[in-house]
Amino acid sequence: MALLQRKNKIPLGIYVHVPFCRSKCQYCDFYSVTNKKDLDFDGYTQAVCTHIKEAGTQAPNHIVDTIYFGGGTPSFFGGEGMAMILAAIRKNFDVSPTAEITFEANPDSVTDRLLRRVRGEGFNRVSLGIQCDNDNILKTLGRPHTYAEAVMAVKKLRKKGFRNISVDLIYGLPGQRLQDWNATLNNVLSLKPEHISCYGLQVEEGTPLYNMRDFYNLADDDTQADMYLSAVELLRKHGYHQYEISNFCKKGHTSRHNMKYWTGGEYLGFGPGASSDFGGSRFSMVRDVHQYIEGVLQGGTVVEELQEVAPRERAAEYLMMRLRTTAGIDRETYENTFLLPFAPLEAQLAEYKQQGLAAQTYDGRWHLTARGFLISNSIISDLLLVQERSKSL
Amino acid sequence: MTELSRIRNFSIIAHIDHGKSTLADRLLEECNAIDKREMESQILDSMDLERERGITIKARAVQLTYHADDGQTYALNLIDTPGHVDFNYEVSRSLAACEGAVLVVDASQGVEAQTLANTFLATDAGLEVLPVINKIDLPSARPQEVKAEIEDIICIPAEDAPEISAKNGINIHSVLEMVVRDVPAPKGDRNAPLQALIFDSQYDSYRGVIVYVRVKEGMVVPGMDIRMMATGAEYKVVEVGTMNPLGLTPTDALGAGEVGYITASIKNVADTRVGDTVTAVANPAAQALPGYRQVQPMVYSGVYPADGAKYQDLREALEKLKLNDASMSYELESSIALGFGFRCGFLGLLHMEIIQERLEREYNLDLITTAPNVVYRITKNTGEVLMVDNPLEYPDPMDIQLAEEPYVKASLIAPQEYVGNIMDLATSRRGEFKDMVYLDAKRVELHYEIPLNEIIYDFFDALKSRTRGYGSLDYELIGYRPSRLVKLDILLNGDIVDALSFILFADNAYPRARKICEKLKDNIPRAQFEIPVQAAIGGKIIARETIKALRKDVLAKCYGGDITRKKKLLEKQKEGKKRMRTFGTVSVPSEAFMAVLKLDED
Repeated sequence: MALLQRKNKIPLGIYVHVPFCRSKCQYCDFYSVTNKKDLDFDGYTQAVCTHIKEAGTQAPNHIVDTIYFGGGTPSFFGGEGMAMILAAIRKNFDVSPTAEITFEANPDSVTDRLLRRVRGEGFNRVSLGIQCDNDNILKTLGRPHTYAEAVMAVKKLRKKGFRNISVDLIYGLPGQRLQDWNATLNNVLSLKPEHISCYGLQVEEGTPLYNMRDFYNLADDDTQADMYLSAVELLRKHGYHQYEISNFCKKGHTSRHNMKYWTGGEYLGFGPGASSDFGGSRFSMVRDVHQYIEGVLQGGTVVEELQEVAPRERAAEYLMMRLRTTAGIDRETYENTFLLPFAPLEAQLAEYKQQGLAAQTYDGRWHLTARGFLISNSIISDLLLVQERSKSL
Repeated sequence: MTELSRIRNFSIIAHIDHGKSTLADRLLEECNAIDKREMESQILDSMDLERERGITIKARAVQLTYHADDGQTYALNLIDTPGHVDFNYEVSRSLAACEGAVLVVDASQGVEAQTLANTFLATDAGLEVLPVINKIDLPSARPQEVKAEIEDIICIPAEDAPEISAKNGINIHSVLEMVVRDVPAPKGDRNAPLQALIFDSQYDSYRGVIVYVRVKEGMVVPGMDIRMMATGAEYKVVEVGTMNPLGLTPTDALGAGEVGYITASIKNVADTRVGDTVTAVANPAAQALPGYRQVQPMVYSGVYPADGAKYQDLREALEKLKLNDASMSYELESSIALGFGFRCGFLGLLHMEIIQERLEREYNLDLITTAPNVVYRITKNTGEVLMVDNPLEYPDPMDIQLAEEPYVKASLIAPQEYVGNIMDLATSRRGEFKDMVYLDAKRVELHYEIPLNEIIYDFFDALKSRTRGYGSLDYELIGYRPSRLVKLDILLNGDIVDALSFILFADNAYPRARKICEKLKDNIPRAQFEIPVQAAIGGKIIARETIKALRKDVLAKCYGGDITRKKKLLEKQKEGKKRMRTFGTVSVPSEAFMAVLKLDED
């Protein structure tokens, strides 16, 4: 396909949800299954590929510039399946040669065989779930690996030529103190990953952790806040640029796929529980692997929630999502896209600036500071109220 | 018109929960006034709220046609009365429309404070009081003892009092026979100048005000020009008639002795005040019937829309409510903190709660109510006398020569084992002990003089909890007494929130200030900065708490699959903020105001 033609195409992200895990982590509220009878890898692969084929016809004017295999545990699912699905994507969509293609992996399932297979297919980014450097805590969380395995996994990835490695870490874990967290960061920094995600532990209803929360020695909000600020500072000193609330990277290594979520880009999701924002609507797939397979292969509904997003709602999303990033929001984009006045928001942001919660760049963009990020729900809901009360230009 | 000898006008009086409304229902059924299937339980209490709370808020009247054992047919006019001390004046006017009162006494509870209070009101109005022992089917019923109690305490014969169960319809017939036999037939001259007592009125959007009257003398017919003697308002009668359980029945005329309604295209209930006398313009009565007084609200509070933009809605709702409730007053008030709202006057705390609930329910409003306030009498150094019902109008202490607060005479009845508890309570509320009377071997009546201010918050609840529910309360205003008052201000982040200010007795200021600060600290969400909560008298801070700054409120992860869910979460948070009022830089949810009102709950 000619480049000239491609230039005018709309960028599209593709997300593939791989809902299989070796074991369920105590804090996880993503959709995934672990029972042997549910691990229908073949049925799943066939369904996703069929689904992709059907959807491909819907996006003739799109160019796929990011692909993300998340889970679940794609590395546990294995290289064969991932390769088949990626091939189906390439066959049915126009995939850019420079596309960012990521898969999530857990250290215990990062094998040479897997890496050889996926590297050859064009996967060029890995998101590795390390979470913590303390094996006792890893065990408490129900993680199926040790820290030594995580270090090994990074080495294997490097050896196989992966130049864009991201690691996931969690702070506020049971029994974890500020100094433990700082030590974890320092240990992980020595692995020199290109990208680090640091997530404050969120105790979600319905998870085993939620039910046991009173028995674990979980960090309180103040401690979590201290841990966060400490991470921001430490990572900055080591040359990591913060580009989102929980995401840090070396220059040029932002997750392009994830940026789509925060900047209002279009994406299509495949697999049970996957979400899409495409053609002006948000929708998600049924959160049940068997229903999904049956629905796709035998003709039935797989879309669970479908919502057209009104312009006002898009304006709200703009604030909610953009303010998660350090790129932030700006008058020109806002006023031109939504025909709403920026001034009331700016007045509120100026107050936050005084409190050290927000900042403005030399070119006029507004973003939150680390302290602002920490209370971003409160700030964003304030701004949403300001926005709701403003009249169209 | 019904012959005088065939008319009986009566009320049912009782202590709360002794079964007044249930008995009224049974009487209606017994007279076949309504089909059982049509019977909505307690039809006389037609407001939803009344049915829920099991109390009668506004009086209603109904005419029953009863074929008595003597072979005659009687028109029995049952006038229901409100059952709460807040509405004492309304009760007295309803009673003045009757010749007799059926006194319902619970067979196990016996005589209670309102049994006494209502009986005294009835005897004061010259009524024949006929006791009935209710709930006779309860295992704990002790009818003989209760009859003896009635004779001892109230000094009315009770030996032949019917023993009934209104709930299960036992012996209802005997109540009706008693009414026919023992309630005197009304007297009056139908040729005399018209005198009709207004005992209630109700606004109807089609007919205007429906005035409920008891004709004492003369006659009223459609087309007649009438005058309200107290307000001077004049109207031409459109329709007269009687009240039936399921509606109004027009008649040709209403004559002396009868109870019925008048419509005259009256636009405002304020023109038809309870207790006023209706007379004929052409042939007016020489004087009005005795007992009229203009009802004065006893408790005031600021009522504001939780969402400031709803001010107009609140104004319209109050206008409509006022059409039906002349005892409530409202006037525009503006607070720096809450914006535009209204200072509303109520007969008491129950009345206040009812009005608030009706505003919220029937008009779909979210309200913020400021602390209830009694009316203080302040004499300034200049000699000027102010009646202050609003802390915002409280003068500078330097300008005050004399501050006085209203006192009530409270009557408290409870089994004797709770006397100690009651005394503790009354003393802690600055009650002055007057006397104590043994009503019988077990029960005691105590009299106190207590500042009204101490009663209006939660006195009744506190009494109930200290007497395991057995205690009962009645009170009446006895006038003003000098007092040491202060105005307590609340500061959030250094700014006075005027809507939280209130006037109180000086010695109560410190403990109260501490409690308020604690409550506010618990009820105001952490903000993006630290918020000092202070209480001050004059410029002097007497209590302080600090709401720590919010440090963490963040969604750590927000990817494709999380957006819809997290959007809802942030929307919810935004909606929550809408219901908060911003004072300077501090947002206060309406729950915080409620919490300050309910200070003594723990």
